[in-house]
Amino acid sequence: MSDQTSNGMHCNEFDLLLSDALDGVLTGAQLDRFQAHTRGCKACGPLFAEVEAGRNWLKGLTEVEPPASLVTNILASTTGVDTQRLRTVERAPQPGITWLERVQASVSGFMEPIWATVRQPRFAMSFGMAFFALSVGLTVAGVKPADLTKISLRPAAIRRTYYSTRAQVVHRYENIRFVYEVESRVREIKRNITPAEPAPAKPKDNKNDTTQQPEQKQERNYSQTDSHLILASAPLGPSVNDLPVVSVTTDRRFV
Amino acid sequence: MEDVQVVAMLVRRCIAGDAAAWEEIVQNYNRRIYNICYRFAGSGDDAEDLTQEVFIKMYRTLSSYDHTKGAFVTWVTTITRNLLVDHFRKGKQDRMTDSIDTAASEHEDAQPLSEQIPDQSAPPDAHIRSREVSETVHSALAKLSPELREAVILRDLQDMDYREIATALRVPEGTVKSRINRGRAELARLLQRTYRQVM
Repeated sequence: MSDQTSNGMHCNEFDLLLSDALDGVLTGAQLDRFQAHTRGCKACGPLFAEVEAGRNWLKGLTEVEPPASLVTNILASTTGVDTQRLRTVERAPQPGITWLERVQASVSGFMEPIWATVRQPRFAMSFGMAFFALSVGLTVAGVKPADLTKISLRPAAIRRTYYSTRAQVVHRYENIRFVYEVESRVREIKRNITPAEPAPAKPKDNKNDTTQQPEQKQERNYSQTDSHLILASAPLGPSVNDLPVVSVTTDRRFV
Repeated sequence: MEDVQVVAMLVRRCIAGDAAAWEEIVQNYNRRIYNICYRFAGSGDDAEDLTQEVFIKMYRTLSSYDHTKGAFVTWVTTITRNLLVDHFRKGKQDRMTDSIDTAASEHEDAQPLSEQIPDQSAPPDAHIRSREVSETVHSALAKLSPELREAVILRDLQDMDYREIATALRVPEGTVKSRINRGRAELARLLQRTYRQVM
């Protein structure tokens, strides 16, 4: 848009009035000035023609018909998004309604969003794909539907299955040649990394050090060295010489 | 298009949980929203998805509508426009007016716009009634920048007044008029160049 004044009208003013002129709302002197500027201005004249042509092209475009399923899809998707409000209304007790109808209404209120989601084609597609992947996975794993009926679900049976499976897995794992080799390598590396142990020190004459002595020597068995005289208790008699003397040698250890 | 009181009552009923009221709103506005989406997005599939998204957004935010602040149709158009702009930004389709000879489709073998004109001799007024020309204009419209496109769609295809468009686009009325004029002129230039090349 040039910045000229032609026939008493500035090009900026022309730009502002252009829409009104095309809408037919310009009248009187303003319309005359506008038309005069359109005829006189080299920039605004062609612009007016282009804008008018563009509007005519656009007016020729007719409304397109929405797909027939659009309303249904919208209602399904919106009620699937949030039906809390609608469910609350449905759950309100109404006079003259039997308990069966009430149960049906509550069930339908609960099931409606789920059903609306299930009815979506993309859900059906996802479900189909998931089922297919599951069946392929089970087939590859060698699981047969007939095997499932033989499974016992008692706690004891489940526990037994768990332990036997675990034992099998551990057994298999430990018998894998690769694992065995890795473990032996690790042991070897550990052995190489660990510094050589210093030569054993000369044993000191330490009486308290009993580490090298046999266990038996740590014990002091007093019972084997001494014999003890035990006086049997007896009622006091007329003289000490009359008392019986009993010599007892015992292997019992007195602690 | 709408009686303010009637629509306000419909919205109140819908907020209160009347499923029939919501269905009535969907029935009344789906065509309009679909057309805006179709003209803006350019494809029927995108328009269908976008229309559903608009109604989901409407359903969630219906309680925020205040009939004293503006007409319901303006509120609906604002939601539609915002969603379209978001969609446009996500799809990175935001481009300025392309050459008329660039292919409308992403496919390399697609015909350029100038080769889609079926009849070379008939004047534009005759073409305007044909379906092919409508598609050509539709393709040219898709080549306008988003700002110009949304303005001309709301004015020339949805017959909204400047004040409503200004509210929906959140720009002054003067800017709306300027965008509409530039959009129309740009569209005419694109189509005129097309005819000049094929003739």
